[in-house]
Amino acid sequence: MDDINVSLVIDLYKKPLKTKELSLSQWQKVILVLRHHQLLARYYQRFVETGVFDFLPEYCRHHFINGDVIAQNQKIQVEFEANELVGALKGRVEYLIFLKGAGYSLSDHPVGNGRVYSDIDVLVDKPSIVNVERQLLHHGWMPESVNDYDDKYYRKWAHEIPPMRQSKRGTIIDIHHNIVPPISGRAPNVSALIKEVIHTNDGYAILSPAAMTLHSIVHLFFNEDMKNGYRDLIDIHMFMSKDADINYWRTLLKLAQDTGFEYELFLACRYVTRIFDTEVPDYIIAALAKCEPRNIKLLDFMFTKVLTPVHPYASPSFFLMAEFFILVRGHFLKMPTHILIYHLISKGCISITCALLGKHFFEKELKQP
Amino acid sequence: MVSDFYLDLHPFSFKVTSSIPQVLTNLQTIYGKNLVKYDGQLCSYELSVCKASGVRRIIRPQARFLCDQKEPFKPLSLQKSYAFLEWGMNWTIAANEVQHVIIHSAVLAKGDKAILFPAPPGSGKSTLTAYLAHNGWRLLSDEMALIIPGTKTVVPFVRPICLKNQSIDIAKNLFPDGQFSDIAKDTHKGDVIHLSPPQISWDAGKENAELVGVVFPNYTANTDLQIYQLDKRQAFMQLVDNAFNYSVLRGVGFSTLANVIEGVKTFEIFHNELAEVKDFLEQEVITDG
Repeated sequence: MDDINVSLVIDLYKKPLKTKELSLSQWQKVILVLRHHQLLARYYQRFVETGVFDFLPEYCRHHFINGDVIAQNQKIQVEFEANELVGALKGRVEYLIFLKGAGYSLSDHPVGNGRVYSDIDVLVDKPSIVNVERQLLHHGWMPESVNDYDDKYYRKWAHEIPPMRQSKRGTIIDIHHNIVPPISGRAPNVSALIKEVIHTNDGYAILSPAAMTLHSIVHLFFNEDMKNGYRDLIDIHMFMSKDADINYWRTLLKLAQDTGFEYELFLACRYVTRIFDTEVPDYIIAALAKCEPRNIKLLDFMFTKVLTPVHPYASPSFFLMAEFFILVRGHFLKMPTHILIYHLISKGCISITCALLGKHFFEKELKQP
Repeated sequence: MVSDFYLDLHPFSFKVTSSIPQVLTNLQTIYGKNLVKYDGQLCSYELSVCKASGVRRIIRPQARFLCDQKEPFKPLSLQKSYAFLEWGMNWTIAANEVQHVIIHSAVLAKGDKAILFPAPPGSGKSTLTAYLAHNGWRLLSDEMALIIPGTKTVVPFVRPICLKNQSIDIAKNLFPDGQFSDIAKDTHKGDVIHLSPPQISWDAGKENAELVGVVFPNYTANTDLQIYQLDKRQAFMQLVDNAFNYSVLRGVGFSTLANVIEGVKTFEIFHNELAEVKDFLEQEVITDG
């Protein structure tokens, strides 16, 4: 009775009244799972909105409030960093658009409240990238050290350059010129997204809710890494639920068509309705029906596992298999076979060495943290 | 063999998992009866210190620290594993807890009147802390002072005193009955040892105290006691520099520290005789008026 499972964690979000039924030792585990997925603040918001928060045991309220204070601070900090970036890059770029978490924080959409993330993602025009990198160096942003292989990977094949870290404040920025790696052959013409740029009251360029949704969907379903899958699916659910009028859905569908990500939109609608009972309009379902692949049963099996809050205390059966499947699938999506083979051999040699000699074999030992 | 322990350290509690004998014996030495076998108790955080995998189990073995699934630090050599756990606990609180203003400072009290001793390593802060804790004062914390926002009230978070280099021998001479951990050699602060405070500090481990002073100690050999009243602005800025979560708490952090500084006596002292410092604190700082 003290154990928890993934559906319990999901149910707490869907039906906050369920919070009444949990024992303290279940809460202890739920809180670890939520902290692990950076969701304490997200659940806090949900519990406050639905009026159950004040009835939670003191133990839970304490941890949720910690999460909320940290998230609120991040929101303020991102506004500061955005201002710094705009100042540093003024006149040096054609456009500077804040994506994903940073974009949500700067927007007035509820998805920005309680969203926690580790990097600030921005989109700039490709010709300006070299300039941007140089300009940020002048403002104290240093390139993060990556190994030689990764650096080459970023610059040759990826849609972003290696991350840069602010040397004083420690914030990390990811600079993109597209939303998926050009090597995949799927990189859209960014102009379709640029058309969807809106400006916040403070003048920051972000994507419209429909375009943010699409980007989040592409990021989730055209990917091999599902570590934040559950958190991202909540974002998508929130976009599709809050003020999602006919204009929103039409724009989302049109954007997916224009950028070639209808299939990903189909998957997103399928799993967001399965996991969160999100209301997706029938005409969208109908328009996307043609995307249904032959192996849909297999995909259902895999995605419904990896899109859940996974933790040693709450892990779906066959999770490792599903995770591996998604990992392989994601790699095939992103790279043509010959590049993929080269990539896997290079990465494989590094991993085998680490497996044999210890995870941290290549790392220099510090005397103290 | 992996063992789970429950460590009740008001106001936080930990489940500690470790397979390293050094960690377990030191935990018992330092925390005594605050450490019990884990049996489903409600705890704030789950921590583990375990051996690194691969050949590193045998050749130059290392310890890894995890807070739940998160590994905030790179591994350290195995002989530092207990100190690693202590630092890991500090990290866990500093990274997650934002409902107190947390200052990197020792805090000791006589009765319910407390003094903060924020000071950089090498200032002799921990030796002074250990001395006071063994001479009629109680330790609320050696490294993390927890202040309730908007007040001058400090919540105890009793933990061992962390002594470095020459202080280790001094402390071992001064407190022959002290409960000392093993020495963690060759850390970036040099050699480090942890000393459990006397029982009265543990017994009063849930009793808050009111701040009446902030004292910045400096150990200087061959110097008689010198006392300087510290300018409030300087004292404030030094507290800010030592606050772990000042930037996260923003306005609350600022107003709390400003309120503390305005309401207490602030001194900087230079000393080479611990007993003189104790007399000064008792006669000048914790008295009224």
